[in-house]
Amino acid sequence: MRKTIGIDIGGTFTDFVTYDPETNKIDNWKNLTTPSEPIKGVMQGLERMDDLESVDKARLGTTIATNALLTRRGAKVAYVTNTGFRDIPFIQRGNRKAHYDITWIKTRPFVDRANCLEVDGRITAMGDEHAPLDESAVRDLAAKIKADGTIEAVAICTLFSYVDPKHERRIREILLEELPDMPISISYDVLPKWKEYDRASTTIADAYLKPVVADNFRRMQARFEETGLGKKVGVIKSNGGEATLDNAADSPVQMALSGPTGAVVATRVMSELTGIKNLVVFDMGGTSTDCSTVVGGKELVTTDFEIEWGIPIQIPMVDINTIGAGGGSIAWIDKGGMLRMGPQSASADPGPACYGRGGQDATVTDANVVLGRISPDNFLGGEMKLDSDASHEAVGRIAEQLGMEVDECAYAMVQIANNNMLGALRAVLLQRGLDPRDFTLVASGGAGPVHICDLMDISGIPQGLVPNFPGQFSAFGFIMTDARVDRHRTVQQSSKFFDGDRATEAMKDLVRDAVKELNDQGYTDGIEVTRSIEARYLGQNHELELTFSGEEFNEETIAGLWDKFHEEHNARHGFAIPGETIETVNFKVVAVAVGDKPQMPELPKTDGKLAAKTKRQVRFKDSWHEAAVYDRSDLRQGDKIEGPALIEESASVTILQPGQSISVDRIGNLIISV
Amino acid sequence: MKFSANGYYIESYQKCPNCGILMYANAEEDKAKRVEHNGEIYCSQRCVDWSIDRDARRAKAEA
Amino acid sequence: MDFVTMNILDSAMVSICREMGITLMKTSYSTIFNEALDFTCGLADMNGEMIAVADYCPAQIGGMPLLVQSCLKEIPIDEIEEGDIILHNDPYRGGLHTPEHTFFKPIFVEGEIMGFAVAIGHIAEVGGMAPGGFCGEATEIFHEGVRIPPVKIVKRGEDNVEVWKLLLANVRTPRVNYGDLKALIAAVDLGEKQMRGIFAKYGKAKVKETVADLLLYSEKRMRAELEAIPDGIYSHEDFVESDGVESDKHHRIYVDVHKQGGSIIMDYHGSSPQAAGPINATLGVATSAAYNAVLHMTDPTIPRNSGCFRPIEVMAPPTSLVNVDFPAPEVGGNTETHPRIVGTILGAMAEALPDRVMAAEGGTHCNFVFGGVDADTKEYFACYDLEAVGWGGRSFADGNSAVDSINGNCRITPVEVYETRFPWIVESLALDTDSGGAGKHRGGLGYTKQMLCVNDEIICSQMTDRHLLAPWGLNGGQEGGCGATLVMKDGEEEWKTMREAYGKASTSRFNNVSIRRGDRVQLRMPGGGGYGDPAERDADAVISDVKDGYISKEAAAKYYNYKEA
Repeated sequence: MRKTIGIDIGGTFTDFVTYDPETNKIDNWKNLTTPSEPIKGVMQGLERMDDLESVDKARLGTTIATNALLTRRGAKVAYVTNTGFRDIPFIQRGNRKAHYDITWIKTRPFVDRANCLEVDGRITAMGDEHAPLDESAVRDLAAKIKADGTIEAVAICTLFSYVDPKHERRIREILLEELPDMPISISYDVLPKWKEYDRASTTIADAYLKPVVADNFRRMQARFEETGLGKKVGVIKSNGGEATLDNAADSPVQMALSGPTGAVVATRVMSELTGIKNLVVFDMGGTSTDCSTVVGGKELVTTDFEIEWGIPIQIPMVDINTIGAGGGSIAWIDKGGMLRMGPQSASADPGPACYGRGGQDATVTDANVVLGRISPDNFLGGEMKLDSDASHEAVGRIAEQLGMEVDECAYAMVQIANNNMLGALRAVLLQRGLDPRDFTLVASGGAGPVHICDLMDISGIPQGLVPNFPGQFSAFGFIMTDARVDRHRTVQQSSKFFDGDRATEAMKDLVRDAVKELNDQGYTDGIEVTRSIEARYLGQNHELELTFSGEEFNEETIAGLWDKFHEEHNARHGFAIPGETIETVNFKVVAVAVGDKPQMPELPKTDGKLAAKTKRQVRFKDSWHEAAVYDRSDLRQGDKIEGPALIEESASVTILQPGQSISVDRIGNLIISV
Repeated sequence: MKFSANGYYIESYQKCPNCGILMYANAEEDKAKRVEHNGEIYCSQRCVDWSIDRDARRAKAEA
Repeated sequence: MDFVTMNILDSAMVSICREMGITLMKTSYSTIFNEALDFTCGLADMNGEMIAVADYCPAQIGGMPLLVQSCLKEIPIDEIEEGDIILHNDPYRGGLHTPEHTFFKPIFVEGEIMGFAVAIGHIAEVGGMAPGGFCGEATEIFHEGVRIPPVKIVKRGEDNVEVWKLLLANVRTPRVNYGDLKALIAAVDLGEKQMRGIFAKYGKAKVKETVADLLLYSEKRMRAELEAIPDGIYSHEDFVESDGVESDKHHRIYVDVHKQGGSIIMDYHGSSPQAAGPINATLGVATSAAYNAVLHMTDPTIPRNSGCFRPIEVMAPPTSLVNVDFPAPEVGGNTETHPRIVGTILGAMAEALPDRVMAAEGGTHCNFVFGGVDADTKEYFACYDLEAVGWGGRSFADGNSAVDSINGNCRITPVEVYETRFPWIVESLALDTDSGGAGKHRGGLGYTKQMLCVNDEIICSQMTDRHLLAPWGLNGGQEGGCGATLVMKDGEEEWKTMREAYGKASTSRFNNVSIRRGDRVQLRMPGGGGYGDPAERDADAVISDVKDGYISKEAAAKYYNYKEA
């Protein structure tokens, strides 16, 4: 096990977490992010370490890809496809964002229509060549791109390439002969799945990102080399796994969602450390809250991501649901007289009224101050004093309009904000067929521990967990993750005419490609492979995922697969159709290079003499209570605390309602129960 | 709307000539509000009044 | 009013409706369900008032209140038992059109019905004269498919087998229909179960009281929106160009919108009498269209329920194009006439609300339906799927290209799914240059889909519009491009209309044309009308449109004074 450092570049702060296997110590710190050149903030933070040469691995969560997509600062792309289909990126799916919004303007793709080019050639659903590829037309196209001189990357997507990629590969071959340095993405490599718009959109995004990511990583590599970290830097992909800089630059769309994955990986690690199998994490920031689940010890990976409404990027990503509710969410009153929270946020500037930076709006943070839940003297470890009067005034302005007392209003504000976050929890639990009563809620982000007890109460989740330094949970996740490769391909077959040999071949290919990708990155030991198949009843159009534990498709394993499907369908949807034909759609392989994990330092056992450092009045539900206030650094393994109580630490506070209790586990997690 | 004596099928449909809603033969509460005008049954006095107003307005516009 | 509980309960109920929809998406068979999302899920109180709905299909959102209430008028409440699920599709009793199947399940709490879980879905194949449900030349309901009065398809938790047998015997695709019906039942089961949880958590009295408050709150907010619109009577008309039977007759949709204080009344008197062919809209459609138009013109964050619909009234003359009587045909009323009614209302309000309306959108879903026997599996296949159109220009922006008409919000089927399921090869799917009506803000573009038949025979029908009468412009904007349906038979070189090739009365509506291997079909979708005088269009926008190929140089010169640099 090597000394590792995890670096999470957030919107406001860059977090650093290190783990030293020799001393078994975890260290953490943060500094402000430098948005114009994020690597500067990283280098600044690294200066804190006087023994950088001892670091063996640095893992970076980078938002370079996400930002390039969100701010539309990527490459000028040429899109190449079959004759008659250049408008696929423009026609899109035909639906609109909201049912009743006449002001909506359809999302622009990442490519200009003038740069969408067509060639003759066509593969059918069965893989037959309906029309041969017109190679001379491809050369003409290459000449056109050369003459234009402004194209910086090419995306190629032809119909049914996931069945037979030969046309796409040949087009790339010819283009590389004519334009040797052009970055090219083909849909078969990026996403060999059906539904041409989704695949084209993802492939275009990959080409769009290639030049900017390659350039950025080159500069970053150079800076890291100055410090001696050089080749030891990896980035975190959207599937929560790590990749080398080279590998990530080859397939940049894999990082389209990078930041929030840290908390999910950390939660999965927490599952391993505590033995709790089902966890749901909510990562609460100033503006938004991300929710995600770990089920049976594994994080859920989805392919349903959209970078903007209507622009899908369907590579495997950790399944995160984001809601516009956070510590800075602003209170307002709508035309019907109803109190609403957010999605507008006061962000960090001017920030909540209590920040004293001129903010006049009442925010969730202000409500928490009024309720006594956040102490004005303990914010950011005392580095920043909050203006409690300003909070009272801001909340008072809202309260007056509603005819409420100030603290009543603050309580209503917090309830509504919590209810908004509950929406995200429902989305990742109930809407995926998961029962909240089977889960443990994990608080992440500075504001998470303030709200966890409320969320447990309204969601019916019976247990909560507040990790050490919850504000840096994400960066902690980075040091704990592994290198991971996900490979999917559409292999359509029905149970009536199932070709076991073809299926075995296809699965073998995927496994071989995935393992090779890990090998190329330097991982050869401890590779674990999981195979799964997405299937459905013939006629349905959405699939269930089944793990496939066999290595080949023979009579036994195939029959087992169908049985499993009927069972799963019944469990998930409440009914099965015995005897009905089943269709396989996608084959999936996940290859993980499992590394040694840090042994978390254990807290010394309690001597039973834990004492509160002070007391204060806190409003819970209908009344004010006297709550004991503890310092988290005083806690020991086995300590028990009954609510009402607050456990303060440098960058956060954990609130405990009356009737709830906390026990401190072996490694210092606060386990909340009702 | 009137069901057959055995209740198995519909014998006739009746709609308010103004607003067009279906008038159910066995809806006692609604029946009480119905009004006859010019040989037709309307669902309510309001619909009768509205019809009269509309005819008058349109006749005037044409003149 | 306890706003906090109301807020929490409303979001919980909408969440439940969304979860019902996800079940439907994941388990249904027809692509119209799971690709196009042509369904809706909602909750009703014990009187049939809609209390929450998820944003799936707009047509059904507006149709739900009348549908549920119509059924409750017929079935005495004491005859409904725990575990029952009621199915209904009758257009003349609150329905929208025959393919739309409504399911609702009572929510019993301590022996008392406290509400209903509702799911409405478009089932592709419903029997009748044409596979795929859209019989373009139907002249009576009996041609259009199985008509289902409110019946219990599930009785006390058990399938009512006799009803299933009767239904599945009368459709061409019993296996697929079985799957779809099962999916709809799973959705209402889920909704009912989740709602019982809500009642258990809050108690019957609190939920009942909070729901009543929620409806009142929505009503108040809607009235406030309507108050802000200038009072008056606003009128507009549009025409459906044919009914498939009497081909050269135009059928008029007319509306007087009466805006009075916090109320709005759509008076459709002056619309044509009902047509001989299946373009007639039901009262459910006329009502749903009114709701849809008003929702577009008002604050979309108002919680959608019967409360926000209370200030909206509809007067649709019986025996007319907008309130069809038994047994006249109606299947096209919900997809084709419906968006035209919405567009007419928006057109009427253009002078009062110029920034919240648009020029005419394409106003059709194409409805090219077909069926045949699969050469490999020998199983019968039927397809109903839709296409998108150009939307109308607006006072502040061009119209969007290729978006589903306003009464739906469906997704088009991907080519790769289409060809995997059905024996066609799609040769092109391309936006049509110049199909957006010229204007200061031009209309959105329509597109053409060209397909080659690779089965021995595919039986095709269609119900569309806008082949003859183009989508109108607003405030000096020009008309959008018309649609077309053309066929090029194997061995020939000419594209012909259905009239020219098969002697059909109408080019846009027909039944059961036999398309053979090697034949080609072109489906062209109309563009949107333009808004404002083309002479005022921003010069850079014109240059960019020409560069992108949305407008030809010739059209640019003609409408916008474009001169090549």
